Amino acid sequence: MWDLRLPAGLFFTGLGIILCAYGLLFPGIRAELASDINVNLYSGISMGVFGIILLLLAWRKRA
Amino acid sequence: MTLATVDYLVLALYFAFVLGIGWLLKKKVTTSSDFLTSGRSLPVWITSLAFIATNLGAQEVIGMCGSGAKYGVMQAHFYWLGAIPAMLFVGLFMMPFYYGSRARSVPEYLKLRFDEKTRTFNAVSFAVMTIFSSGVSMYVLGKLLQLVLGWNFLASVLFAAAIVLVYTSLGGLTSAIYNEVLQFFLIVLGFAPLAILAVIKAGGWGGIQQRLEPKWTHAWQYMGNAADNPMGSDMFSVVVGLGFVLSFGYWCTNFLVVQRAMAADSMSSARRTPIIAAFPKMFMPLIVILPGIAALALSRMAGSGYSLPMLDGKLDADMVMISLMGKFYPAGLLGVGITALMASFMSGMAGNVTAFNTVWTYDIYQGHIRKGAPDSHYLMVGRISTVVGTLLSVAAAYVAQFYKNIMDLLQLVFGVVNAPLFATFLLGMFWMRATGLGAFSGLVSGTTAGLLTLSLTVAEDKGGWLGNLHTFRSTMAQNFWIAMVSFGVCFVVTVLLSVVGKAKPAADLKGLVWGATDMPKTGDEPWHKRPVPLAVVAAVVCIAINIWLW
Repeated sequence: MWDLRLPAGLFFTGLGIILCAYGLLFPGIRAELASDINVNLYSGISMGVFGIILLLLAWRKRA
Repeated sequence: MTLATVDYLVLALYFAFVLGIGWLLKKKVTTSSDFLTSGRSLPVWITSLAFIATNLGAQEVIGMCGSGAKYGVMQAHFYWLGAIPAMLFVGLFMMPFYYGSRARSVPEYLKLRFDEKTRTFNAVSFAVMTIFSSGVSMYVLGKLLQLVLGWNFLASVLFAAAIVLVYTSLGGLTSAIYNEVLQFFLIVLGFAPLAILAVIKAGGWGGIQQRLEPKWTHAWQYMGNAADNPMGSDMFSVVVGLGFVLSFGYWCTNFLVVQRAMAADSMSSARRTPIIAAFPKMFMPLIVILPGIAALALSRMAGSGYSLPMLDGKLDADMVMISLMGKFYPAGLLGVGITALMASFMSGMAGNVTAFNTVWTYDIYQGHIRKGAPDSHYLMVGRISTVVGTLLSVAAAYVAQFYKNIMDLLQLVFGVVNAPLFATFLLGMFWMRATGLGAFSGLVSGTTAGLLTLSLTVAEDKGGWLGNLHTFRSTMAQNFWIAMVSFGVCFVVTVLLSVVGKAKPAADLKGLVWGATDMPKTGDEPWHKRPVPLAVVAAVVCIAINIWLW
């Protein structure tokens, strides 16, 4: 059976890239009660990191 | 609230992966056992996460957040007092019989242990229950999307159901489980920012404690008297009703969750599935309940800019989570939040559909309609029942639109169906004298007693169709008492009728009952691969959390 961490890792890396890009391109888009933080950028970074960890785990097992 | 292009992009990415996983698993399915039980081949980390994800439906996520605002920290007892002990128990003591008996479903275990009528009673009530619970869940989600985003109710319900149907009918249980793991990650990562942002805004945990009376932020201290706490329940009914009867009835006998552990690749993995799942499970209140408590604190803060959603002067609990998202999530992350909500709905629905098709195919169709057909026939029946199950849930959701009260009623009735089951399994697994006649009569009379209690008591204007002998402070308290009554009646009737009847000989009970079964040996494995040490660690951590929030 193929490793589920591969598609899951790809999904969260993709999600991270979308959110980071959006946060960097449109830093002015803020929510009403979280206007002092670039929420998209930070959550994008954490999701991307999670995705990359999953990919590394899948890759380490294969190697 | 409106979604931006980026939000739809996130949704589309998610749907593409979900369908892709189903498509990739299509080739792996060649027998009915591959389709309905994953051929007992999945690694333990996957079954563990699926074990909690399948219970994490949209209704739970939305409901828990609302209940956090309604009942405070006490709501977490559904996790710490309810789910965790029951999950440890099913892993340590019950899984050897479920997995070891080679039964393919929970009702089938009842057939091996007792007889055909007990199995059929359980299979039919379970099948009906799964259809209606996925219908209710679908209804809640469709209503929310309609209200908040202006999406068409029927179109969004049909669309979400179609996606679930495609990936479950392609890859069967494995596809449902793999997607549940993806959905679990997404639910955690998609909702965690909400908890973090809302708590920071409310001044951290210290700030929340300052703004709310202590009864909202303590789990045990105000439970001595039902009048002192937001839940309106006393210690006895919470510990016995919720902690013992309801939770054990759900986590230990509901095929929906037990099926995930039974798909594991070995006895050791099957036993460790609920025990490993207990670790993330005990921290789930941080993500699903804490935002609700923070919302309550924010609404008491002058100038915070947040007020709780109200309907006819009462808290509109189902809207709490989405109202927080509207205030704290910008376009982009909002898409992730909505996607996570969709994901929770899908994992709950896929759980129901895959449990339904197994029980229908093996316990009802193979048991009563057509025995002894070739396996390819049952594979086909499994696939068809997946489609039929989905269509029936959509129909249930559609009907719920017009008769909201009927759905409320059904949920109360299901509480009654679940509660006596734990007595049947407890006696069946640990008492060799229990007989089929005893178990069947116990289940029927326990269920009837529960329904009678519901018909003779009133809480929040619900129940009491036959009269009113007692008024409860909350529907929650009523639930706990109904559960205790039906459990007690089932237990007593089963014992009495078993004592006068004739028990099965011990040789027929091998692998099915404590005392007639060799328990699996785990001595040579390292501690983290053995169920008992893992369960002890989980219990210690869980107790520590309770002491901290006493």
